[in-house]
Amino acid sequence: MKRNVKLSFILLLAFSLLLSACSGGGKKEANATTKDGKVIIDFWSFWGSETRRPVIEKIVDDFNKSQDEIEVKHTFVPWGDIWTKNLAAVAAGNPADVIVNDLASVAHRADNQQAEDLSKLISKDLQSNLYPHLWEPVLYKDKPYAVPFTSDTRVLFYNKEAFKEAGLDPEKPPTTWAELEEYAKKLDVKKGKKYDRIGFYPLWGSFGAGSWMSNADGGKGFIEDGKLAVNTPKKAEALEWVQGWNKRIGDKNVQAFEAEFSSGQTNPFVTEKVAMWIDIAGFYTQIRDSGKEMEIGVAPIPEQETGSGHWNEGGGFALEIPKGSKHPKEAAKFIEYMASEQAQKYWALKNYDNVANVKAAESAATEMKDIEKTVYDQALANLKDTKLHTVPLEYPDYKTRLDPQLEAAIIGKMSAKEALEKAEKDIEELKK
Amino acid sequence: MQQSIMEEKTGTAPKTTEKKKPAKSAVSSRRFWQITSKSKAGKMDNLSGYLFISPWLIGLLFLTAGPLLFSLYVSFTDYNITSQMNFVGLDNYKRMFTMDDLFWTSLWNTLYFVLFSIPLTTAGAVFIAVLLNQKIKGMKFFRTIYYLPAVLSGVAVYFLWMQMLSPSTGLVNTVLGWVGIEGPSWLFDPAWTKPALIFMKLWSVGGGMLLYLARLQSISTALYEAADLDGANSIHKFFYITLPMITPIIFFDVITSTIYAFQIFQEAYVMTENGDGGPGNSLLFYNLHMWKNAFEMFDMGYASSMAWFLFVFIMILTVFNLKIGKKWVYYEGGDNK
Amino acid sequence: MIKAESDLKFHQTKSFQERTKKTITLAFLLLGSILLLMPLWWMISTSLKSPEEIMQHPPTFIPESFRFSNYIEAWQTGPFARWGLNTLFIAIVTTIGSVLVNSYVAYGFAKIHFKGRNTLFVIVLATMLIPSFVTLVPQYMLFSKLGWVNTYLPLIIPAFAGSAFYIFLLRQFMMTIPDEYIEAARMDGASHLRIWWHIMLPLTKPALITVALFSFNAAWNDLLSPLLYLNDENLYTLQLGLQTFKGSVQVQWHYLMSMSVMILLPTVILFFFFQRYFMEGTNVSSGTKG
Repeated sequence: MKRNVKLSFILLLAFSLLLSACSGGGKKEANATTKDGKVIIDFWSFWGSETRRPVIEKIVDDFNKSQDEIEVKHTFVPWGDIWTKNLAAVAAGNPADVIVNDLASVAHRADNQQAEDLSKLISKDLQSNLYPHLWEPVLYKDKPYAVPFTSDTRVLFYNKEAFKEAGLDPEKPPTTWAELEEYAKKLDVKKGKKYDRIGFYPLWGSFGAGSWMSNADGGKGFIEDGKLAVNTPKKAEALEWVQGWNKRIGDKNVQAFEAEFSSGQTNPFVTEKVAMWIDIAGFYTQIRDSGKEMEIGVAPIPEQETGSGHWNEGGGFALEIPKGSKHPKEAAKFIEYMASEQAQKYWALKNYDNVANVKAAESAATEMKDIEKTVYDQALANLKDTKLHTVPLEYPDYKTRLDPQLEAAIIGKMSAKEALEKAEKDIEELKK
Repeated sequence: MQQSIMEEKTGTAPKTTEKKKPAKSAVSSRRFWQITSKSKAGKMDNLSGYLFISPWLIGLLFLTAGPLLFSLYVSFTDYNITSQMNFVGLDNYKRMFTMDDLFWTSLWNTLYFVLFSIPLTTAGAVFIAVLLNQKIKGMKFFRTIYYLPAVLSGVAVYFLWMQMLSPSTGLVNTVLGWVGIEGPSWLFDPAWTKPALIFMKLWSVGGGMLLYLARLQSISTALYEAADLDGANSIHKFFYITLPMITPIIFFDVITSTIYAFQIFQEAYVMTENGDGGPGNSLLFYNLHMWKNAFEMFDMGYASSMAWFLFVFIMILTVFNLKIGKKWVYYEGGDNK
Repeated sequence: MIKAESDLKFHQTKSFQERTKKTITLAFLLLGSILLLMPLWWMISTSLKSPEEIMQHPPTFIPESFRFSNYIEAWQTGPFARWGLNTLFIAIVTTIGSVLVNSYVAYGFAKIHFKGRNTLFVIVLATMLIPSFVTLVPQYMLFSKLGWVNTYLPLIIPAFAGSAFYIFLLRQFMMTIPDEYIEAARMDGASHLRIWWHIMLPLTKPALITVALFSFNAAWNDLLSPLLYLNDENLYTLQLGLQTFKGSVQVQWHYLMSMSVMILLPTVILFFFFQRYFMEGTNVSSGTKG
């Protein structure tokens, strides 16, 4: 019997040894410093693509070389996982030191104690270098909880060659919804029941059904100043309009195209399967990197009717210090560098985003030329019509209630009016 | 010694099955699991016994029972893992049944999947097992091939099927094209996404086949010979001998694979864009919806109430299965109540 | 195959029927084999095609040219070597743990008499009926409070707590080993631990190999736990790496398929090496479950 106990004890010991060995790997890095005494800052971004990764890594590298106290380590965490994992890490008390997060929901995270208050960590004059409309969303109870890094706005890209082929004037992009539809029909290339090229489909690219609805509704989001604006006549009209496209082109054809470009290597606009495409300015990098000689034009988002406004929807990303970071001071230094003219300009030149630093945005424009300048200038021009719809504190998850209804409406399961009524009711119930 | 083990393995039921135990805790004990143990107990040795099962016992406490109870408690709160944990009574359950459309969508999707995939895979497994039970040269080779897909799993397999189900360039629609059928858009058409997954599941039907094969090999040939003398044809023999003899395995297989099928998650997570549940939420299975609530919105309270609903639902279903099983499962040499 | 010898005619038609039956069966089996193997062929063939050829309509069955470079290029798109080693480490540790712990526990249930044994064993079986997702959420909360997120602990530790199915399987196997062996050893003064280690483990080798194969396969193919618990790219497993790889770039089927072939290869090799156990291992359980 003694022997039994002794052996069990040894097994237990071996087991706990293994336990500590396994846990070592992940944790060490969080607290450690480098050999020469630099503090290691863990920086999470979702910029892992072939285009963006080198750019962010160059900026990080520049920062590391610019001083000798901090060493930033960049960790790529995939889009879709990054914010989930961040929250998990905050909950576990072991978060990264700096993270790229969604600009529209900064206040929400501040409210839930998931991000650090930066008011004492960053210098006061940082704000004056950045666009005011981007500074506003990072405030919660008048204190900044993040620093805006970039914002984006949508641009209508169109294929000039295809325009010529279809007998359209390549210098005259569509300006209203009616024109958009008219042009799209001319740009369609059909073979029997199937499409070889689809002129335009409003839900492809990065301007969703919600964006079109806001476009029609004078730029109003679904929740304005704490009040619901889901079931408005204009929004219903817009949703019906989207339904109309789906009906005209046909579920089957839309699906077939989606299937094809989800398994293709390049974007359907780049492969000329779609003639008009709405996306962020940075989409241009895909055209550039495809190596194809494409003649493209850019334009503002078409307005619903003449005079209703080219309302556009923007998003953006901010740098945050997750609650519980071990090195907030050093993290703030890195964030300041990321918001500096030098880093921001480099980012703008490489990715065509609307960076937050005013000087950087303007000087980047002067250094570009030809088509890239055209695209970038258009994006800058579109900013005046761009709304950034922040996530309201009272309705943090309103999208989870809205999206299923919109989707049901688009595939024709219910009418636009029904869907919006239902969505408004569902969101109302959600109110905190 | 080795020899005797081998004999056991080739199918004849081990000694334990012959032992009878009053079937009071009926189904879960003798019939279903055969957990009877030798009754002529030797010396009791409690310390050693508990020492030996201690790893499992600790696991039970900390990884199963504890978490179960904790999640029951959490299901009555608005726990969000970082800042709050207030008691909210039945709010989560109310929200689940009355406000969350996606809850019903996900439940329906899951039931659809279970209702179609279980009968199809079970029938497929039985059919293949019967074919593979014939005495034909090269049968070993066939068994290997039929079992192979069952050992392949994970992300790689899902990718393979995504490629094969691609509407215009995939293998499946190409083959369908040969016989003049224009294949659907599979994973892109809300009406065809679930059939696509069921189709994929059928590929690995060989996993269940092995269970049946083992049982088939243990059926005494005397039964078939007697039937031969009576002039029974193959179909008769299948329905009057083979099928009744394998009902215990079907029973076991259906129960365990139903529980398993209810938990479908990875397929939908990997095979839809950003794991969002596919076109029109047609692949938003119960667990995927729970996952999103738990690990994307960190609504742990709500996710826990979903977990408990599923738990209770499956328990009821299993008990129902066990009850109804008594009616159709045939036990050789047993009193078939 | 005893047949009615008195009736020759009957005998002849019977054997004729037998033969046609066999032929039909064989035809079915062949057709089925082709259907089952086609996806694998498709995977290999796609992995060797050029991206243009993959998009071709109608598709080709044999690649126009065999691009083995796809494999090298795909391998270099991410730290797959690192991920492979990570996965191997996790799989080996969990396999060892699973084999030792489950057989240890099974021995307790099979060969030691203690109070409440049968009740506890019913609980073992009952836990098999609990859907794993029900405990996933609270387990996650537990592990995250313990600070185990972004470590391998949540992936490895549960294997050391035993798994109901393996305990059941091994226990049934051990029941077939006569108690006399154990009693004799007990007489000689051997402890249960010694008996387990020196007698039971060697005797149950086939079942242990089955458990080892199953748990290795499960760990190798697991996506859920790594997805939930691992953040740092350096700690990724192959499954997680492959899943991210799909998301980070536009879908590149030739790379995805060559990665998939490489990831499935170890499983296939293990299968062919140990197929006797794979096949017979489940028989152990099925024989007793019936």
